[in-house]
Amino acid sequence: MKMNETIEFDMVDIKRQRIDNKNHIYGRRYDKPKMKNKSENPEDEFVDESRTVIIDSGAYTIKTELASKNEPMLIPNCIMKAKAERKRLFIGNQIDECRDCSGLFYLLPCERGYITKWEVQKPIWDQVFNKTLCPVNDKHVLMTQPLFNFKNIQDCTDEIFFEEYEISSLYRCNPTDLVALKYGLERGMRRETCLVVDSGYSFTHIVPYINGKKCSNGIRRLQIGGKMLTNHMKDILSYRQYHVMEETYVINQVKEDTCFVSENFQNDLKIASEGASKNHIVRNYILPDFNTIRRGYISDPDRIKDMHENCQVLRLNNERFAVPEILFTPSDIGINSVGIVDCLIDSIKLCPRTYHDALARNIVVVGGNALLPGFKNRLMKELQSRMPAKWVVDITVPEKSTIYAWQGGKSFLKQHGSVEKFVTKKEYDEFGSSGIQRRFNEWKTFQEEESTKEVEMKQISLIDHVNKLNVFSRQEDLVDQVDSIEQKELSQSYVLDGSVTSNKSLSALEEGSTPGLLNLFDDKNAVLTPPPSEKSSEISICSESMSKMKSSQEENLQVKYFFQNEDSEEENPLNLDFI
Amino acid sequence: MSAQKPTRGSGRLKDSEKRKIVDDSTRRRRFRRMLELLESDNYQEDPHADLVMSKKLPKFDDEPEQRSTRTKKKERTAEYYQNKYRKSFEQMVEEDRIDAEKNGRPSYLEAEARSTDFVARKFCNVCGFFSKYTCVTCGIRYCSIRCMTIHQETRCLKWTA
Ligand SMILES: [Zn+2]
Ligand SMILES: [Zn+2]
Repeated sequence: MKMNETIEFDMVDIKRQRIDNKNHIYGRRYDKPKMKNKSENPEDEFVDESRTVIIDSGAYTIKTELASKNEPMLIPNCIMKAKAERKRLFIGNQIDECRDCSGLFYLLPCERGYITKWEVQKPIWDQVFNKTLCPVNDKHVLMTQPLFNFKNIQDCTDEIFFEEYEISSLYRCNPTDLVALKYGLERGMRRETCLVVDSGYSFTHIVPYINGKKCSNGIRRLQIGGKMLTNHMKDILSYRQYHVMEETYVINQVKEDTCFVSENFQNDLKIASEGASKNHIVRNYILPDFNTIRRGYISDPDRIKDMHENCQVLRLNNERFAVPEILFTPSDIGINSVGIVDCLIDSIKLCPRTYHDALARNIVVVGGNALLPGFKNRLMKELQSRMPAKWVVDITVPEKSTIYAWQGGKSFLKQHGSVEKFVTKKEYDEFGSSGIQRRFNEWKTFQEEESTKEVEMKQISLIDHVNKLNVFSRQEDLVDQVDSIEQKELSQSYVLDGSVTSNKSLSALEEGSTPGLLNLFDDKNAVLTPPPSEKSSEISICSESMSKMKSSQEENLQVKYFFQNEDSEEENPLNLDFI
Repeated sequence: MSAQKPTRGSGRLKDSEKRKIVDDSTRRRRFRRMLELLESDNYQEDPHADLVMSKKLPKFDDEPEQRSTRTKKKERTAEYYQNKYRKSFEQMVEEDRIDAEKNGRPSYLEAEARSTDFVARKFCNVCGFFSKYTCVTCGIRYCSIRCMTIHQETRCLKWTA
């Protein structure tokens, strides 16, 4: 029974490969020898874990170890130069030998997450994979690569690993593939449907998976990651306190030790502006001097005076949450991009409607930034207010979020048929880098199968409702000021755009107020979100159910809106309540 | 040129004394520079630029017992790969775009998060709280008389690129 299944799988593979490749090279290679082999030795179907190395290759940290181990080593993917050591470089984990990490100079192999500097990457790989740390020669290698990894980079990687490091076989996939697989297995799904959020050093990726396949057209990339957060923190601290522009290493630790994601930004900002007795956010951070203090730490407020008299103290107040905030609101530092929440919603909406609900219910967040306290709660809170109320949002942040993909690699190797995916040295020698790469890069797109024509009409009627609501005026007499041209413009833009993913700001109705954003999910659900401004109120509208909304502003009166609409009939009354 | 050779610091001081108004293009340039810095790996210059990876340099991990037992392998230098696979980021993005078009797959560029319509919140550069005012000289934000004073006395025009 088991055997038949495997053979069937192979036949399908052969057919697929033949279609893919006119020359039938894969068909020829996949043919008899392999199937014969497998029938004779069924135990060969599984990868030998003690002879397989899993490498989750991040732009900042390489996670690597034999598959038979439980956890990977974490090795900095950089070469460093220390001010005090003029004779040597610190490659990867050699930084542990560096006594004074002040003013560290970094040589990083990646640019925006992709390897461009081989003169930096190669010595690091040599150090890790060609010596005793985690040797790969004569081993099977499962390696991750960033989404959309460029061909040039894959070519070079193949050459180094096959020709110089002499590995016996290789399989490459995206770290999110392994995350989705592990998550699916933990949830008991046979073919996983989930939304993976991977927020790392260079960027944040949102990747939907449907029935075990990556939905390539739904991938979103936010060009913000841990590196930018640290650099931004250096910026503002240097402007406000000490000059720390050269202290990337130290400030990165300050970020890890003190930053959190605010669940209510405006509220926390208010708390941070209070005096010492009411401000529970402010912290004093003792900076390392690399003499008596190796690593900085948050000082105990009662002990600060008698402990370190000569140490440098950083005062961290709104910086603690304003720095991670740029993941959610990039415009805070002038980056004209939507934040992580919009990326998530966009990603879901690019998938077929049938799966929206399942994706919202299965969100898994990994990567270094997922470790920021409050990340999950903030994401949850914003998604709940921005998505149709009937959808159940569920977010999982694995405890070991940075090594989750590596652990997913272990799960991958245990999967039936995974051994077939590896490309052997012989195959590399025969077909070359270009020939084998199609086995590493699968592009599956899921298109919206339903017609959106009917939906469009209803969308417009819903917008009319919203305009009648006049949601951004705070006084009823401002209704007169609504510019009819702006309304028309708004409706037209929806007609032109046509898709369910359309977003358009509502016009500002008074000076100082800023436009909100209308998100249409389908013909029955729309959510209106005001801008993240100190003056705005937060509004959700669902035609199927009641909305929940809140308002928090310092100088304006509290406004509460209700939009009651049992189903999407146009004539339903809209109630506007002021408190 | 050699007659007046002020230090960088005093040159800046002079500028701020004049209280000249920074024009829009300079402000935009400064902003672009700020965004570049957010992507940069280092702010400082390489402290030991002469220190490079080289076979001649003593290696610290080359003790005999650490050496690989293999002898047959091709050892290639980092320069070999750097030369063979030298391509700029932009070049690779363009190749990806062409390949994606040819094969009907999504490209790197298409996955980029869309731009926002929101009007940005404004924060005081000095203290980090919401700001209502803009420095007429340099365009930086501040929130109060106190922060304005700090800004004008010690920071205004200091960061002009
Ligand atoms: Zn201020
Ligand atoms: Zn100024």
